[in-house]
Amino acid sequence: MRILKIIKSGHMTHRRAFAGMNRLLLFTFPFFLSLIWLGCSDFINVDPPKNNLISVTVFKDPATVESAMANLYYSMREQGMTSGSFGLTPVLSIYGDELDYYGFNADQTQLYNHNHSADNNVLWGWWQQAYYLIYGANDIIRGVESSNDLSVDEKKAFHGQALFVRGYVHSLLVSLFGDVPYVNSTNYRENNTVARMAEEKVYDSIIRDLTDAVELLEGIEPISKRRIWPDRYVAKALLARMYLYTENWEMATSTASELIDHFPLETNLSNTFLKGSPETIWQLAADENFPNNTREAGTLIIQTVPGQTYALTDALLASFENGDLRYDNWIGNVSDSNNTTTLYYPHKYKAGVNEKESLEYSILFRSAEQVLIRSEARAHMGNLTGSQTDLNSIRNRAGLSNTTVTTAHGLLEAIQRERRVELFAEQGHRWFDLKRTANAGRALTDLKPNWQETDILLPIPEAELEINPNLLPQNPGY
Amino acid sequence: MTINHKSVRWRHIFVCCHFFLSISMTLSAQDLLVSGQVTDGHLPISGATVLIKSTTKGVVSDFDGRYSITAKPTDTLQISYLGYTTLTIPIQNRSTINVILKEDATALGEVQINAGYYSTTDREKTGSIARITAKDIELQPVNNPLGAMQGYMSGVNIVQNTGVPGGGFNVEVRGKNFINGVSDPLFIVDGVPFGSQSLGDFQVSGEIFSGNISPLNSINPNDIESIEVLKDADATAIYGSRGANGVVLITTKKGRAGKTRFDAHLSTSIGKVSNFLDLLNTKQYLEIRREGIDNDGVGLMLESSLYDFFWPDIKLWDNDRYTDWQKELIGGTAYRNNAQLSVSGGSAQNQFLISGGYHNETTVFPGDSKYRKASIHSNFTHQSNDNRFKINLSTNYAYENNLMPQADFTAKAYSLEPNAPALYDDQGNLNWENNTWENPLASLEERFEATSKNLITNAMISYTILPDMELRSSMGLSSYQFDTYRTMPSSARNPGYGLTPQSYSYLTSNNSQRESWIVEPQINWQKKWDKLSLNILIGSTFQQESTEKLILRGRGFPNNELLLNIAAAQEIQAVSNLDSEYSYIAIFGRINLKVLDRYIINLTGRRDGSSRFGPGKQFGNFGALGMAWLFSEETFLKNSSILSFGKLRASYGTTGSDNIGDYRFLDTYTVTGSNYDGITLVKPTGIFNPLFGWEENQKLETALELGFFKDRLLMNTSWYKNRSSNQLVGIPLAATTGFSELTGNFDAIVENSGLELDLLTVNMRSETFKWSTNFNLTIPKNKLVAFDGLEASTFANRYVIGKPLTILKLYHALGVDPKTGLYQFRDYDGDGNYSSIGDRQWVEDLTPRWYGGFGNSLSFGNVTFDVFFQFKKQKAYNTVRFDATPGFKKNTSVELYNRWQQAGDQNPFQRASAGMAGGQDLGALQQESSASVSDASFIRLRNISLNYKIPYLINKSEVNVYLQGQNLWTLTNYIGPDPEQPNPRLPPLRQITLGVQLVF
Repeated sequence: MRILKIIKSGHMTHRRAFAGMNRLLLFTFPFFLSLIWLGCSDFINVDPPKNNLISVTVFKDPATVESAMANLYYSMREQGMTSGSFGLTPVLSIYGDELDYYGFNADQTQLYNHNHSADNNVLWGWWQQAYYLIYGANDIIRGVESSNDLSVDEKKAFHGQALFVRGYVHSLLVSLFGDVPYVNSTNYRENNTVARMAEEKVYDSIIRDLTDAVELLEGIEPISKRRIWPDRYVAKALLARMYLYTENWEMATSTASELIDHFPLETNLSNTFLKGSPETIWQLAADENFPNNTREAGTLIIQTVPGQTYALTDALLASFENGDLRYDNWIGNVSDSNNTTTLYYPHKYKAGVNEKESLEYSILFRSAEQVLIRSEARAHMGNLTGSQTDLNSIRNRAGLSNTTVTTAHGLLEAIQRERRVELFAEQGHRWFDLKRTANAGRALTDLKPNWQETDILLPIPEAELEINPNLLPQNPGY
Repeated sequence: MTINHKSVRWRHIFVCCHFFLSISMTLSAQDLLVSGQVTDGHLPISGATVLIKSTTKGVVSDFDGRYSITAKPTDTLQISYLGYTTLTIPIQNRSTINVILKEDATALGEVQINAGYYSTTDREKTGSIARITAKDIELQPVNNPLGAMQGYMSGVNIVQNTGVPGGGFNVEVRGKNFINGVSDPLFIVDGVPFGSQSLGDFQVSGEIFSGNISPLNSINPNDIESIEVLKDADATAIYGSRGANGVVLITTKKGRAGKTRFDAHLSTSIGKVSNFLDLLNTKQYLEIRREGIDNDGVGLMLESSLYDFFWPDIKLWDNDRYTDWQKELIGGTAYRNNAQLSVSGGSAQNQFLISGGYHNETTVFPGDSKYRKASIHSNFTHQSNDNRFKINLSTNYAYENNLMPQADFTAKAYSLEPNAPALYDDQGNLNWENNTWENPLASLEERFEATSKNLITNAMISYTILPDMELRSSMGLSSYQFDTYRTMPSSARNPGYGLTPQSYSYLTSNNSQRESWIVEPQINWQKKWDKLSLNILIGSTFQQESTEKLILRGRGFPNNELLLNIAAAQEIQAVSNLDSEYSYIAIFGRINLKVLDRYIINLTGRRDGSSRFGPGKQFGNFGALGMAWLFSEETFLKNSSILSFGKLRASYGTTGSDNIGDYRFLDTYTVTGSNYDGITLVKPTGIFNPLFGWEENQKLETALELGFFKDRLLMNTSWYKNRSSNQLVGIPLAATTGFSELTGNFDAIVENSGLELDLLTVNMRSETFKWSTNFNLTIPKNKLVAFDGLEASTFANRYVIGKPLTILKLYHALGVDPKTGLYQFRDYDGDGNYSSIGDRQWVEDLTPRWYGGFGNSLSFGNVTFDVFFQFKKQKAYNTVRFDATPGFKKNTSVELYNRWQQAGDQNPFQRASAGMAGGQDLGALQQESSASVSDASFIRLRNISLNYKIPYLINKSEVNVYLQGQNLWTLTNYIGPDPEQPNPRLPPLRQITLGVQLVF
């Protein structure tokens, strides 16, 4: 129905339509005039809201790009896989053999009992958050590349960091879910129907991104010296981990070596997780408002029994050798009022919610991991002495004597044991180690009556399969 | 005599004014001065129009119903008053003519209906307009005008969200038109568009109101003269891009000429929850709990005291204790008091009305929660002596204060273990039972307070420049300020956590406001010829609206007493600071042509521009054609003794919807209010999509309106079919895009069709007894007609072509396997397990199949008795939706006691489990299955009232006393809290009200 012919606008542009109106009004109602002055089509062009920036504007100024970059690290700290509250640290610890779960969250209970299904909300949250970060990184890459207002160094710094973030998040996804989409564009049409990429190819892409990132970040100083913004070393640390996962022992050795030289181990175990620890390669700054310190401490430290959510498993406690200083320094305990039950908890992060000072940040990469990476890679390459040296540097720091193992096979087992007690309740290291060394079944069959071999991969979130059928088939067993 | 029947509507005055236009003020020699009094046979009627027939000359009766007019001795007087049958009396040379007007129950041709930019009558309207007036609103003890409309209008489906005072409603006019997005109609209060969208924020009001706090609460129902709902294309096309979901016009009361009149209205109500669920008692509960733990194979753990903390309900709490938590938490009595005083009056040139109202309401919850509202309404009208210049100013202001616990206790009342510990210890402090439970009353320590201030004001100025041409402009302003906060003191947390006010106590506040102005200049020209009359309206709209929302959170307070002072917080975080602007411009017009008083053509159109769309997509055209044929005026039917009125009407046209929020086409980064390393954050919040445009809605309607036996039986049947296309849809995106949805136009067509029937009968009418009945019925049908590429789209698992938009896809429950005691479902895809994608194929639809209302009004002399029933045929989620597995650590419906226990048992609920068994959680699937939906049809006695008018107190004063009941009785098969409110939220209350109205 184009009844508007009455007001003769049907065949006119809107400007002229109102001008026609205008003439009529001029004769009749001077009052109209002042309103017409407001303009017609201009009248409905409103300024952008003050809390929003149009995308193009963001990439005109290095300060706003920094804000967009900072948002990624903030989000990593608060949500998803890398966060201390519902992230890999607590959840993979209960999925594996490190923590028992006493809480009432249905999704975590499922994962603890290994009767989880594809509609598990923790997993969906991880998935969504991961690709949100990846989009953020890709948009920064896109924006920075097309910007004419940033200097070459600024572009390198942002581009390099964004590549690292993209690689890092994909590395966690591929370890958890197997084949996953590798997303490197911001085009929503493509990304909405993207298919899964084979695991090896994902690793190739990650390594390519990280190599580029190292190159771009070469010679670029991070925004802060507190190791809270990823720099070239952080990219290298992840690269070393990726080489280990893909069994590229040579590259793993050489890459880890650079980091070990640069980030010496903290000799005092009670200082390892302080924010100024020399062995930290990358950490996420704590929220200066609240909780001032890490989410990990708030999540893992048991305040009262009953009232606990997580507690260390007997299996983990038993895996410490006698005299291991890490047992004394990194494990806390609390008993109920009758002293009938004593529960143990990870106490690497000690600063709780009532701590006013900011003492600790959430550490994502530290050089103890690099030492163990090199030790493992060397054992595989047959450099047993080198491997022992690395292993011993970790053991000695924990007050333990040198390893007595001399065979490559024995060393590899010793390294896994060492990783277990060194890296426990940290970013899911234990689970990833069980998975890549094909030891998960052996470790979990007794502990988890519902254990199935297919639990080695987590299910792709059901809601995502519904929206994007190209993600099918689901991982086996779900 | 009810109060409002005799008040003069401004529209009435407006129509009358045309008659005054050509009054010649000179008295010629042949003229005669006729005077007299207009009464209803009992009391004088002031404000009645006395007109010389076939001229435009007339007067209005004064305070005592007296009038005088100069006329020729051969003239005929036509005397009319709203709600009364119009009389025509030849003067026949008399100088005194007293007139007695008879009340007309139907008054088709008299009642002016507000159609927004113009007014019409039931007789001449070409569109579909439902209406409710003060008479029906006044005696209902509702806080929100929407509450008074429930059940009274065909085609309008209103559902109350919560029984907590100050909550919201869902409104749908003729079904859900759009796949995503809001189905709210456009609300216009006294000519000013009113943002009906809640400014509540989930972080503050989420738990008590789901964030939904209706701004319409701030309109006092007692100040409302009428509410009109515009439904079809003919009525809504003049609202163009905002008319697709219908238009609700709220008109407030006006003063009238006559003696100064005082109206006082006082009422008080008591309310209770109307239905409690049957839950397990302690013995049943513990029996199932233990059985569940045994079934899960961890019975041995139960023996050991080592794990006592794991099941405090069994091992640590008193196993003989029983508390009826529904009684404890939602079993209280809510009181409601309402007081209203208004003064009105004026002369023929100036009329005024000022009224003030106060309303307070408590809840059924423990604690001293309360809701208060104070409102002021005023209206002033002035006409120049020559009646060419007119001005009307109406102002509504309301202040609301709502102090509630921060969470609704209803869900807790349904789920707390029956042997859960006492709420308070011996010292009267909150009891935490050695940190083994979360005390629900801790919530009372957490305050929620909402304060709103709402101002709506509108000035309408008009000037008649030529006898048949009027210029007018309406200028409106609305300002709505909404402030809420919610506190979380450390004292509301289990002391075992060792939280201190310094480390934990929070204050979250939401300070929001919405302001808008609108100017609508218009020209109206009308001309009457012998057999033809023409009415042309051209107008223009300029509107701007701005919304701001600031959410602050303070943490860490020196002590909990200082918690309300955000300045005392150790850290203050600006969680978000949103602002948005909306600009809107339009020209609109109407041509109404009437031939021989029986053929009517009504043409309306609008061209709209809106800032919500990207460049090149900002403008759109809308219009409609409406036609009516009053066939009862044709000569062959004119003298029928049975059929007194007959009209056939039809309309077709296009409207649109831009109800999608501001700035949605931009790709933006938003400042989040948080920081990392001291750097303020910006996060990506939108994907650029300049191509999105209007949603379109095409409406077709035909209706047959019949009146029989001198309009004592009126029947209105309409059939409509609306098709909505170019759907603006928040298309769910795969997470791999980085976003969860994108708003864009989608090539999908949704059809709403239906049949509406309205019946009004005057069954008996005599001097002392009157009985009238009204009935309305709506049979709606919703269908997704087309959806390009549905199979491949992200909606593939939500919609089915040919089925309604409101369907749910569920598992098909096949009961409990007598062998294993576990739920079984139909394995649609035959892959041997149950998964959401392959096996949720059972389709249910929760929209009503039909609904309506049925009312009777009886009056014997001074006693009036009204009774109104609302009915709905529908399905809803039942209690299986809450729980399907017996044995969890929470109370459930007593139905779950009827569980499978051993092989061979045939019971509706599966074997008990404490949630520690392995395997898929079949109970969770049962909650999402066909078993969780069942019939929730109901007939509800929504309103019953008995009104007694005390006769002859003092001269001309009037006292009415009434007793009213709301939701007193419900007939339903529904298994759950309330068929209207199936969620675990406080259902609408059952209320009894005693009220008194005085007029002097």
